[in-house]
Amino acid sequence: MAPITPAGSDVSSGPPPENDGHVTAAAERPRRPRLRGRLGTQHLAGWLFSTPFLLLFGTFMAFPIVASLLMSFTDFGLRNVTDPLAADFVGLDNYIELFGDETFRRALFNTTYFVVVGVPLTIGLGLVAAVLLNSGIDRFRTFFRVGFYTPVVTSIVAVAVVWRFVLEPRDGLIAGVAAEFGWTSPDFLSSPTLAMPSLIAMAVWRNLGFPMVLFLAGLQSIPTEVREASRIDGAGAVQEFRKVTVPLLRPTMLYVAVITTIGYLNVFEEPFVMTGGGPADSTLTTSLYMYREGFDFFHMGYASAMAYTLFVIVLAITLLQLRFLRDKTR
Amino acid sequence: MSRSARTVAAACTLPALTFAACGSDGGDELSAEDEQTLTVWAMGEEGKRLQDVADEFNQEYPSIQIDVTPVGWDQAHQKLVAAAAGGELPDMAQMGSTMMGEFIELGVLEPVDTSTFDQDDFFPAAWENNVVDGEVYGVPWYVDTRVLYYRTDLADEAGATHPPATWEELKELAIAYQENGSRFGISLPAGGEGAWQSLLPFLYSAGGTLVDDEGDPAFDSPEATKALEEYASYFSEGLTSTSVQPGQTVEQDFGSGDAPMFISGPWMVNNISEALPELEGKWAAVPLPADDAGSVSWVGGASLVTFTESRHKAAAQEFISFLTSPEKQADWYEISKSLPANMAAWEEEPLAGDPQLHVFEEQLATAGDVPAMPQWNEFAHEVDVAIERMANGGADAAQTAGELQAATEPLAE
Repeated sequence: MAPITPAGSDVSSGPPPENDGHVTAAAERPRRPRLRGRLGTQHLAGWLFSTPFLLLFGTFMAFPIVASLLMSFTDFGLRNVTDPLAADFVGLDNYIELFGDETFRRALFNTTYFVVVGVPLTIGLGLVAAVLLNSGIDRFRTFFRVGFYTPVVTSIVAVAVVWRFVLEPRDGLIAGVAAEFGWTSPDFLSSPTLAMPSLIAMAVWRNLGFPMVLFLAGLQSIPTEVREASRIDGAGAVQEFRKVTVPLLRPTMLYVAVITTIGYLNVFEEPFVMTGGGPADSTLTTSLYMYREGFDFFHMGYASAMAYTLFVIVLAITLLQLRFLRDKTR
Repeated sequence: MSRSARTVAAACTLPALTFAACGSDGGDELSAEDEQTLTVWAMGEEGKRLQDVADEFNQEYPSIQIDVTPVGWDQAHQKLVAAAAGGELPDMAQMGSTMMGEFIELGVLEPVDTSTFDQDDFFPAAWENNVVDGEVYGVPWYVDTRVLYYRTDLADEAGATHPPATWEELKELAIAYQENGSRFGISLPAGGEGAWQSLLPFLYSAGGTLVDDEGDPAFDSPEATKALEEYASYFSEGLTSTSVQPGQTVEQDFGSGDAPMFISGPWMVNNISEALPELEGKWAAVPLPADDAGSVSWVGGASLVTFTESRHKAAAQEFISFLTSPEKQADWYEISKSLPANMAAWEEEPLAGDPQLHVFEEQLATAGDVPAMPQWNEFAHEVDVAIERMANGGADAAQTAGELQAATEPLAE
């Protein structure tokens, strides 16, 4: 048995194994300082190389994460902006208040609505677009790919301007088309029942390019032999899609589902630019409520507690997805 | 002097360690005669134009250079709070009237020297807005106030002979407009951010207030219920749109005649002449319709503040005196079209000779203030929510007033 321990663990920790007896112990003694010196140098170099990352991570990620966790147990408010250490610890009060907060429950409900309807639509339409682009169209493929992906990289402000026009109840696109048929268009963004579906439609349109691009990559990695084999066995287009394409896309599907769900659980931009959470809180999402409490009203402690509650929800849902959607073919 | 010197010394020790403020020439406060650069944050349109005036100031006071940083109104609040937290505030800034309470609470504003600036020079509500517990924290720079805009051509068609002077006449005109073919009689916000701005004239004209003398909310008064009822009636009677559209502008409907009346501030005079030149001579801005307490609007605008950590307070005071002097205020009106807070400036040209400004002067003289409240944003949000509940949700005014009272009680101090 070699007495040299793997790099990274402390050489001096733990006694040497019994069966090596005094021989190794004696042989080891003079080697130890040299070994420690060498490992020390290696460690030093490693730490030095990691320093830029560690500094950035520590300053901009770890510190705020820990600080906001601590903040969620305090009554950090406007006064504490100039004097942060004067905030009082209130234990779990923020969390307890949160669960009695009707607006927060409303925000959670709205977020759930957005995710439950929005995520399957985004992934489903993304998949359909990818399949069509992969096999349905030969010419203009790049054109369509760019077309579907452009909204993903377009600024939300520009998107909001366009969608406001689309949804405008009197002179908007939908109202105009409806008028051709003699119908009147509802006032989408001012109606508590229609505002959220409108935002979901906008989010799906805006985001479906992302799963589409990933699915396209996934589709192109499915071997043609498998498809040919299924066709020889008499599979139709629908069967091929269900029994070959979808199972082989599973790893992509898992990634897309997790990323889209996390993104949608944190939904903020759509209601922020389109409705401001209204009418009557019908589009107030958890992130938007958090932003309002934190940055408009400066209830930083309360907003931090909300952030950590949302974090736990996101974590739990992601773990569930990883469990249920993982590749079962292996 | 000793107190402020100590504050400055304390303020300088910490940042000096991080190479921040407190230049190379020691940590003492400078006098106005010393060679120095004064940093100023100014918002919106003012921010873009202030540097020119600052250069003019520099010719009179060659030792004081002024460095103006324009900040957008949309990010002004965040930037100032972040700067307060990081100890990176400028020497002085323009501060919106509704932001005063919050920054007074933060303890970053230097009290104004009342022997230099005289309360009687300024519109009372503009001054009052900067006072907390008898201490004054800002000098009013420019003011705005809400008045009624209406389409005179359509009013003639509808048979109105004079501008609406009372609540009853306002509603009669709204109904007449609608009977004359307009889609709505008036445009009033049905909720959403800033809806309180249109409710406040109703509240003040009815004789109500936002907070009572003790600083507690006063929505449980009969006047407040009356104002809410009147405001809500325009929605329940279909005289105005119940739709809440963020970013909606009133000009379009005003121009098309779909909503020939609205309540807004002095900037609308320019907006209408620029966006709707074809309306020339077909509209007017008139004092708000009166109720029991008369025609009472409210005063917005901005003040000039100095921050406690500044070493250039003497220079800042000179600059503020310069900007708030009647002559410079009149010049500033020509440059930026913002209305002078100093009443004497209204006697100067071009203000004195402009008949269109008369309505604002009249309205400003009686206007109420928006009390400086640390939690104003939240307070205003509750009012917006109450308006939306009545206008869009059809809630009962008296009940809403009670709910609003309960919701705002923990916010006022």
